[in-house]
Amino acid sequence: MSDRILGAACVLVGAGMAWAARDYAAPISYEPVGPKAFPMLLAALLAAGGLWLVLKPSADGSWIRRVPLGALGFAVLAVFVYAFLFQTLGFTLATVVMAVPVGMAFGGSWKQALAGGVGLGLLLYLGFDKLLDVVLPSGALAFILGGR
Amino acid sequence: METIEFLMSGFGIALTPTNLMMAAIGALVGTIVGMLPGLGPINGVAILMPLAFALKLPPETALILLASVYLGCEFGGRISSILLNVPGDAGAIMTALDGYPMAKKGMGGVALSISAWSSFVGSILAASGFVLFAPILARWALAFGPAEYFALMCFAFACLTGLMGDQPMKAALAAVIGLALATVGLDSNSGVYRFTGGDVHLSDGIQFIVVVIGLFSISEILLMLEQHHAVGGIIRETGRALFNLKEMAQTWWTTLRSALVGFVVGVLPGAGATIASAMTYTMEKQIAGDKGNFGEGDIRGVAAPEAANNASAIGSFVPMLTLGVPGSGTTAVMMGALALYNITPGPALFTQNAGLVWSLIASLFIASVILLVINIPLVGMFTRLLQTPNWLLVPGILAVSAVGVYSVHATTFDLMMMAVFGVVGYFLRKQGVPMAPLILGFVLGDMMEQNLRRALSITDGEVGILFESPISISLWVLSVLMIVVPPLLRLRKRRRRVV
Repeated sequence: MSDRILGAACVLVGAGMAWAARDYAAPISYEPVGPKAFPMLLAALLAAGGLWLVLKPSADGSWIRRVPLGALGFAVLAVFVYAFLFQTLGFTLATVVMAVPVGMAFGGSWKQALAGGVGLGLLLYLGFDKLLDVVLPSGALAFILGGR
Repeated sequence: METIEFLMSGFGIALTPTNLMMAAIGALVGTIVGMLPGLGPINGVAILMPLAFALKLPPETALILLASVYLGCEFGGRISSILLNVPGDAGAIMTALDGYPMAKKGMGGVALSISAWSSFVGSILAASGFVLFAPILARWALAFGPAEYFALMCFAFACLTGLMGDQPMKAALAAVIGLALATVGLDSNSGVYRFTGGDVHLSDGIQFIVVVIGLFSISEILLMLEQHHAVGGIIRETGRALFNLKEMAQTWWTTLRSALVGFVVGVLPGAGATIASAMTYTMEKQIAGDKGNFGEGDIRGVAAPEAANNASAIGSFVPMLTLGVPGSGTTAVMMGALALYNITPGPALFTQNAGLVWSLIASLFIASVILLVINIPLVGMFTRLLQTPNWLLVPGILAVSAVGVYSVHATTFDLMMMAVFGVVGYFLRKQGVPMAPLILGFVLGDMMEQNLRRALSITDGEVGILFESPISISLWVLSVLMIVVPPLLRLRKRRRRVV
């Protein structure tokens, strides 16, 4: 992704913002500046800044070739899956499911990552939920850990 | 004299057992977070902020905890700079330049202790500066109307973009993105829902914690995938643990000068510890001239950035508390924490919530002492923690981040948004877009729009009011200078180098 792509994305987002804000209006207006002006101003600034980057790019996007794309994709997927499972599967199990691929992406063996995940899942659950009263979902392990 | 009384009552609150314990916990956690490469004060404060709220800590206790974490991070960053040659956080980048060579010569212990000492001196001097100047600034700021506030916020963004270095346009874009994110949700003046796409989760706006944790913690984890610093590279032979009087005398003026510069840079809205430490390091290098051996293990090269980054951290509280405009990314996050408690920082805080302000100031003194006390003897324990393998550390950070996000609203939606912001933040950071202006924009967005609309309501839409009062005119002039002067200076420097 080079500066040109970033700039083009900013122009697009700016245009999208302006389009979405095109008919924001107060039902009863009692001030000269309504809900539309500030977003429109920002949309214009965003598009102008983006255009600048398109015309005068300062960095190239060659970093993408130096990134371990496989590990990156793995980690991103793990974060999304974690967010998705957090509530349904419960904190402890979701943490184990997340810690195995993430731990392996960071150089652990699957045994280490699994042990780490189980340890983190249990210790953090007990620490936060039981000790500190920060309620976490127990999900599928509700029959052992209690809670929901 | 009034100030002394307020400060004493502040110490009264800060020295209660709970608050004292929170300062100690914050100092310890902060040192560890600051030391771990990749995690800086923003991450520490962002992760602890929702937890402090979920634990139902009273606002002053929560703020004391977060402030100690911030200060602790500025102390902790130096440990990995010196022993690993990997800066623990951005404010400690300069410390590695001379700290690591010192450690290689077997002077690691001296580098660690002298940097702890100058950090301490920097903190105490800056906290004293805070006591002297903050009440004056707060009183002066009471004269600010909406037009002045709008100009002030523009000045904050100008500082950030001007001082951000080689890519000011990206800093400006980041600020605009932050401001735009802040417009999502219900517009309280008109009752119009903006950019929500009809989603009920967004009607209240994008959650601050989700943005901060996504942009800083999650994207940081993705960035860490590329770091392969060998854990074995740590220097264990640290030699003599304490500096002697000669070394203290050698660094004394450096420390004082750097603390002063650090404090001033910290007070400037937007400019933070990274800039302060870089500035003072360069300054001391020039003052030392040929007599110094900067870059090869000069003890002053360790003292200068450490005094400066602590002083600037404390300095950045001054605009946040007196004007409601945070002086650094981390204090911007803290302002978000105060918003959770329905407290809006600004000049009125000094009169309406004096206990909160003064107990925070008192706790900065207390945390500095705690940090000095724990940092010299416990350095061995910290270095052992530095060897925590990433396959355990990273899932741990991710889990605690998710707990933080979940603890506020307990929805899967927020967790998914966190992941989205993590990926977006990763790409923006890879492309050189700084995150500090973005977060500042997000925190100030609502206030900026409200003040603009309020100002224009006074004149029924006449824009002239923004440039009317002497205060706003001077702020506009300063903003222009901030944007124009640094590129000119860089240009001159480059020309000189060519000649």
